[in-house]
Amino acid sequence: MKRKPTRRVAVIGAGLSLFMRRALDTGKELAYYAASQALQTAGIRLKDIQAVVMATAPDAFDGVHMKGEWLLDGAGGVGKPYLRAYVGGGSGVFSIISGWMMVASGVFDLVLVVAEEKMSSCQPHPQGAFLTIFDHIIERPLGPNLLWIFSLEQQRYMAAYGIRNEDIALVSVKNKHNALAHPAAQVAAQLTVKDILDSDVVAWPVHRLMVSPISDGAAAVVLASEQVARRLSDRPIWIQGVGWCLDTSYWGNRDLAYPRYVEKAAWMAYEMAGVTEPRKQIHVAEPYDPFAYKELHHLEGLQLADRGQAPEDLARGRFDRTGELPSCPSGGLMGVGNPIAAAGLMKVCELFWQLRREAGARQVPGNPERGVAQAWGDLMQIGTVAVLGVR
Amino acid sequence: MFKGLTNVAAARVWHGTMPVQYLYTAGVAGERFFQTLRRKGVFAVTTCAECQVTYLPPRLYCERCFADLSEAWAEVAPSGRVHTYTVVHEDQDGRPLDPPQVVAFVRIDGTSGGLIGRLLHLRPQDVQVEMPVDAVLAPPRRRRGSMDDIAGFAPRRVLPRRPTP
Ligand SMILES: [Zn+2]
Repeated sequence: MKRKPTRRVAVIGAGLSLFMRRALDTGKELAYYAASQALQTAGIRLKDIQAVVMATAPDAFDGVHMKGEWLLDGAGGVGKPYLRAYVGGGSGVFSIISGWMMVASGVFDLVLVVAEEKMSSCQPHPQGAFLTIFDHIIERPLGPNLLWIFSLEQQRYMAAYGIRNEDIALVSVKNKHNALAHPAAQVAAQLTVKDILDSDVVAWPVHRLMVSPISDGAAAVVLASEQVARRLSDRPIWIQGVGWCLDTSYWGNRDLAYPRYVEKAAWMAYEMAGVTEPRKQIHVAEPYDPFAYKELHHLEGLQLADRGQAPEDLARGRFDRTGELPSCPSGGLMGVGNPIAAAGLMKVCELFWQLRREAGARQVPGNPERGVAQAWGDLMQIGTVAVLGVR
Repeated sequence: MFKGLTNVAAARVWHGTMPVQYLYTAGVAGERFFQTLRRKGVFAVTTCAECQVTYLPPRLYCERCFADLSEAWAEVAPSGRVHTYTVVHEDQDGRPLDPPQVVAFVRIDGTSGGLIGRLLHLRPQDVQVEMPVDAVLAPPRRRRGSMDDIAGFAPRRVLPRRPTP
């Protein structure tokens, strides 16, 4: 991936709804809150927007088939070119990759990107919606539970590198603590490793407090071409690089201890951004953390820690908000909440605020100039990566 | 920055379902896998010689180079090693499972893939990563050519013992 797009693209506004367990608000209304706020902070109106991207994960969550189309009006897409970006849990970051393509191609100058999920509709538990993502011949007869797969992966990660469950529980402690400073957070808390490991075992080695919650919520950003961004914003945040990659659909054929597809996606984005030494050139990271071990897994895939070493780095405070490389300063999915697609885009919003130094009590120290956001999903096989920076 | 929302713990709700049913075929490769399992009690696999990958579950084509694998069949014994495992305490609706179930991903010997299945005949605390296991199959007359023919996997017995006279 040596080719570079000629048109640069910036984020010039961001918005977020509250994340909560069950919102009275419909998905359309949640999308409207986030989208209208993103427009407002960009200083533009809906009529200025030329095209809209909507990211939303499986239809089965909201219980509306073809919900991308159903959400159209809440996303501000009526009467405009409209695209649903859909790669499961990876959709939130894929949404700005899709919007970036629309602007970098030269077709549009102002694109609104919205992400929404209302998981509380799904009964008795949204996990049930995942039964049908497994191979219908080989795996579904066993009645697999989504948590099985993550527990199997975490266990393999632990076995491959001799990692203890205590080391992984520390992710929950860090992120739930970071989320205390996030005004939209659903599950912020001050907890200890003991609290995490005292919570129920869902599927060993995964405990209840090592899993992100069921959430309703929405997020949005406004993307602009360079010329328009410079006119509308005095502090545009540039999309310096994007990358994505899918591993095989047969999860039994993947390396469960190391996410190779995240590495490939990361290098695609880094090369586009001119990043050759990620650990020096990335100042703030928002890796995807739907499960506690996943943040560590992803930090390694993103080349921000050696393989199997992320737990040790975490324990010595490297990933704290005031550490050498703040990771999930927002509080992440473990702390802010996990309305699937919206959670990924929330990470992009967080980089926008961090790089503009508008993150308030969550602000990382120093002068962060470049950050990376990453999400993961589809059939647990995609990495979606975006590198953002101040220039 | 943040709009206030009305957070009601008990918002009024309406019930709805999305009632749809399906009839799935196993596919050309899948059908051969299940017929072989039913008749011989072994796993049918396909191999891409060029990529040196042996597919289990078998594929009709190589996903890496797109080679046609419809003539590249082999059979392997239904045994392998526990690659990773979990002890499941909740069912898919979030209800407690009592007793908890041990589920493993088993890498099948001689292949690049594997299968998930229940671990049988051992206690959760005795499971070890990399322990050798064999598939526990339904008796030949009861096999129907589906995944239900595999009851699960159990620790490999070292040697069949001779009954003492
Ligand atoms: Zn091949």
